[in-house]
Amino acid sequence: MAMVGQRTPRLHSLDGGPLHPDVAMLAAAADAGSIDRRSFLQHASWLGAAVPLGACAAAPGPSNDRLRFVCAVQAISDPALSAWVEASNLYRNVLEFLTEVDADNIVRPALAESWRPSADLRTWTFTLKPGVRWSNGQPLTAADIGHNFDRWLAPGSKSVNRTALAAITGFERLDDRRFALHLARPLCTLAEQLYSPTCAIVHPGFDGTRWTDGPIGTGPYRLTDFQVGRQARFDRRDDYWGPPALLRQIDVIDLGPDVATHVAALAAGQVDMLYRIGVSELDLVERLPAARLLRHPSAMTICMRMKIDQAPFDDIRVRRAIQLAADNAAMLRLGHRGFGILADHTHVSALQPDHGSLAPQARDVREARRLLAAAGFSSGLDLSLVLGNTTGRWEQDVAQILQQNLAEAGIRLALKVLPPTEYWSVWDKVPFGLTSWGHRPLGIMTLDLGYRGGSSWNETGFADPQFDTLLDTAMAVVDPVARRGVMAQAQQRLRDAAVIMQPFWPEKFTAVSPRIRGHVLHPADYFRLERVWLA
Amino acid sequence: MTIWGAFGRRVVQLLATMLVVSFLVHLALQSNIDSVAVKVLGQYSTEAQRHAWLVENHYDDPLLTRYWRWLGGVMQGDWGMSRHYQERIGVLLRPRLAASALLAGLALAITVPLSLALGVAAGVRAGGPADRAISALAIVTTSVPDFAMAAFLVAIFVLGLGWLPGVSTMADGVAWRELVLPVAVLVLASTGYLARATRASMVEVMGQPHIRMARLKGVGPVRIITHHALRNALLTPVTLIMLQIPWLLSGVIITEVFFAYRGFGTLLYQAALNSDVSLIQAGAMVSVVVVVTSQLLGDLLQRALDPRLRTA
Repeated sequence: MAMVGQRTPRLHSLDGGPLHPDVAMLAAAADAGSIDRRSFLQHASWLGAAVPLGACAAAPGPSNDRLRFVCAVQAISDPALSAWVEASNLYRNVLEFLTEVDADNIVRPALAESWRPSADLRTWTFTLKPGVRWSNGQPLTAADIGHNFDRWLAPGSKSVNRTALAAITGFERLDDRRFALHLARPLCTLAEQLYSPTCAIVHPGFDGTRWTDGPIGTGPYRLTDFQVGRQARFDRRDDYWGPPALLRQIDVIDLGPDVATHVAALAAGQVDMLYRIGVSELDLVERLPAARLLRHPSAMTICMRMKIDQAPFDDIRVRRAIQLAADNAAMLRLGHRGFGILADHTHVSALQPDHGSLAPQARDVREARRLLAAAGFSSGLDLSLVLGNTTGRWEQDVAQILQQNLAEAGIRLALKVLPPTEYWSVWDKVPFGLTSWGHRPLGIMTLDLGYRGGSSWNETGFADPQFDTLLDTAMAVVDPVARRGVMAQAQQRLRDAAVIMQPFWPEKFTAVSPRIRGHVLHPADYFRLERVWLA
Repeated sequence: MTIWGAFGRRVVQLLATMLVVSFLVHLALQSNIDSVAVKVLGQYSTEAQRHAWLVENHYDDPLLTRYWRWLGGVMQGDWGMSRHYQERIGVLLRPRLAASALLAGLALAITVPLSLALGVAAGVRAGGPADRAISALAIVTTSVPDFAMAAFLVAIFVLGLGWLPGVSTMADGVAWRELVLPVAVLVLASTGYLARATRASMVEVMGQPHIRMARLKGVGPVRIITHHALRNALLTPVTLIMLQIPWLLSGVIITEVFFAYRGFGTLLYQAALNSDVSLIQAGAMVSVVVVVTSQLLGDLLQRALDPRLRTA
């Protein structure tokens, strides 16, 4: 939501020192109207500026209420290896992060009370909040944080943090509450990235195997029951170092994969909060008196991606033809009932502040047919798309629209639907697959993980040194306008290579009991339950 | 053959079936062993990480070695560890089997008398108004699939009227209200089928010469049914009821999953979705035992009902 024209707020730094020099540049850009107010606040928060909290409803004090939250209860070995947001919503009650990114994508202090990047963005000094204690009574120290960075970045680390934070070359403990991170290249989004689900701070005594066996944390709750596939229970800690959580108890209940079952449980008053509902449950939830619908735009999406080292996708003419035959508007309208915004095959959303706008690419079936004929498929082409409905049945609905789109260009597309967990066994192997990608606050984070040459999450095999250089450049640029320019070039290269079809950005929905207060739907599906209360 | 001979033969058959099934399941599940590592390490793990995990956990041993290791464990009563639930399979199975037995037991306790009564009522006077009404109802309930029936009942009693709970997790112990809908789905799904079988059997028996003779001798209709027809007419339904038991235990998956009921069905479903090899193997063994045991029971009941079988 742009608020251009409103006076840019005067900020101060989190640690009371002088503001990072680039904040002045951001403020000037905001004053000139080249970036909006929210974008200004987000960028300033990366650089260690304190962003005032918006007005919110006054919460009552701690209560004896119990919240029943429907979410998958999966085995958790090591939070740093976690691949599921659902799992992070469990350990989020017990563990805390150095920073926190709110639903407006603004970075806020969490365990760290402040961070200060050097002018060149290559040295970041963090200060921990005073008085933070682990649930076993020990104080949290900078050495404990160092232990976490060591395990993430160790040569044998299996954590995705090793890729995402690859720029970090050293951790330096300055005193008990202060430490510095040294980077090989500038990384303006570091503070934001420390809120990734895999960056939860664990106790140095944790051996990395079964986190759920009596975990020690700094968070407001303690894990008191954990049964995979059934339920997990969290009880409020009376000895928590910060303001006490509002709810006495949180029960996370696993009701299986069928969302219709979750809605039935909410309707019958058996649960209070659902993790996610799909577009097909929307009408029902809107009619139920026992449910309140929550919705949020998000940079979560699906990509129908082709593996460029496998025939016939090794021929760019075939990939281009497929991309040109796809009708994004029809996929959004019929596959997701129009709830969402159109995308342009670049995997960066117009909702993300680093989105570079490109000239729209019009659908062109005639050109698609010409390209196919040139590639030797004048009599048509048989393809099969593998998908797993990992975020719901709508994925298949979209694939069916694509099937009809491609038929117009002479491509006969077969759909191979797998169970969700089966799809995750083959997501990076099948020649043509439909993969869901989670929300990230910035487009560059997605591009870095999914399309950098040799990245472990690169499912298309796309490798373009110039694209990688553009990513490095964009990561070092604080100025949002300049970064959007660099990003536009990277996005253009990605779209020209035609490795994905990314039709739209679906709106995200969930449903809660009308009694729920203090809950804001986070675009990345993060649930901060200690601030929730029941009316 | 004596009853003990038949019994012994069945036990041997049971063990042989278990052995064959366990090997086939093992063979089928081991073909895609890479997916096990994906499920443990997550979808974003790299090829190298998965390989390291498989080697660490002895999944690279030859197929027969692993089967042998598993069989050895089972012989000593150790079913192994469920990888997905991170619990010993023995510990995991017991409450789940009890929960499914409760669901299936209640469903059977209602289905059997209800379907027999309906079948007899319909079969006594074939073509009469009672027969037509019961047959029509039976055909309707049988032709609606379980999941549609479940959705239909939830739409009426949970979302519409708000009388019953929508899920049956039994999170705080046995809650009878939570059992109503899943039991109703199972009863509706099988009563029609059994009632029609009973009716057909009854119609056939009622046309037999000895019934006509009894009628001619002036025996009352109630006595004809209870003393002359019922015993013969029960042969087919009893076989069918015994076939329902394995269906109830493993085939209730749809109902259990729909109502998030924590029984054997959901356990197997989750095991299959998550490639939990040891758990699927244990579940298959339980299913084999249930199928063969219920067949054995069916045989014994048939012998009790039909004296001709005892001398055969």
